[in-house]
Amino acid sequence: MRKPLLPRQDALWWWRHPAYRRYMLREATALPLFLYALCLLYGVRELGRGETAFNAWLAFMGSPLIIVLQALALLAVLWHAWTWFQLVPKILVIPTRNGSVPGQWLRLAHLLPAVLCWVLLPLLAWWALGHVVGGAA
Amino acid sequence: MSGSLTVRVQRYRPEEDDAPWWQSFEVPWSEDTSVLDALNHIKDVEDGSLSYRWSCRMAICGSCGLMVNDEPRLGCKTFLRHYADADEIVLRPLENLAVERDLVSDIDPMLAHIETVQPWLQREQADPQGTGEYLQTPGQMARYESFSHCINCGLCYAACPQFGRNPDFLGPAALTLAQRYNLDSRDEGRDSRMPFLNGEDGVWSCTFVGYCSDVCPKDVDPAAAINQGKVASNVNYAVNLFRLLRGGDDA
Repeated sequence: MRKPLLPRQDALWWWRHPAYRRYMLREATALPLFLYALCLLYGVRELGRGETAFNAWLAFMGSPLIIVLQALALLAVLWHAWTWFQLVPKILVIPTRNGSVPGQWLRLAHLLPAVLCWVLLPLLAWWALGHVVGGAA
Repeated sequence: MSGSLTVRVQRYRPEEDDAPWWQSFEVPWSEDTSVLDALNHIKDVEDGSLSYRWSCRMAICGSCGLMVNDEPRLGCKTFLRHYADADEIVLRPLENLAVERDLVSDIDPMLAHIETVQPWLQREQADPQGTGEYLQTPGQMARYESFSHCINCGLCYAACPQFGRNPDFLGPAALTLAQRYNLDSRDEGRDSRMPFLNGEDGVWSCTFVGYCSDVCPKDVDPAAAINQGKVASNVNYAVNLFRLLRGGDDA
């Protein structure tokens, strides 16, 4: 008669191997981003409540704890993007006449626009801010 | 290069034991001693009651999968010389599968999942006999060839925490085989496979842990196959939506 031992996944399975720990680190990047998104939503709410509330929110965003959170969120998003770019060649297969587009090219094709956005968007925001403030003055 | 190594083996004899227990053996090794050779030595010389699966000794049959120091590996493709500096190696049955006896796992759930995705060439209408082979260019073959190297050893299922959490998840090997046949230019069975890929236990239950590809002894890269399957699933969703909007069935 059969009497098999049934498999049971314990709560700490993810700690048992470096591959699992790397995976959990990648997935855990969602947590600081979630908190940062809550901060932004809070800002939108305060914006609707008037200038005093919005300025209080700005002060809140400048407090040491929230600056640490923003730094964590920045590191998390960079790490997540990097791990994602490394995985792209596994998912994106573009056939060519003699095989397929090399993975290194696909990674570059993702990395370059990301870096470009990283440089251009803050510049654009900085320019727009100067424009608006200049226009108001 | 030779020596001896302590091999610690998880034992479970369903007639006598209520829980697994550990037994250690001192095994002599030389440069070409595999874990499977070590198990054969134990069974021949130390304890004839030890049970494990094996057949070909050359990473083709996929029978001798087990956990070696907590990593899913084929016994025949893992050598004791790589553990020469360790105090011992620890052998236990594959993770995430039921244990029948000692190192023998029940692989039926995996085989059932593989069968679910219909991993065989399907034709809407087979060519009459005598009209020759279904021809294929090297380029068409290259699209799926690496995915066809799977030997159904189950190491990827032992490596997959999603399968460990939800045994109904079709899992790495089954979803890879589905993709292998979907990519085959001779196959016309995609429509009957896609509902399984699109379903709750299909490709979308994979969270790209990626360890399945690390442990695959044939470099099949199941994580790549499954995540390419997600792209196919998205395309299939769009096609179905288009058919639905045109008033067709939602197959």
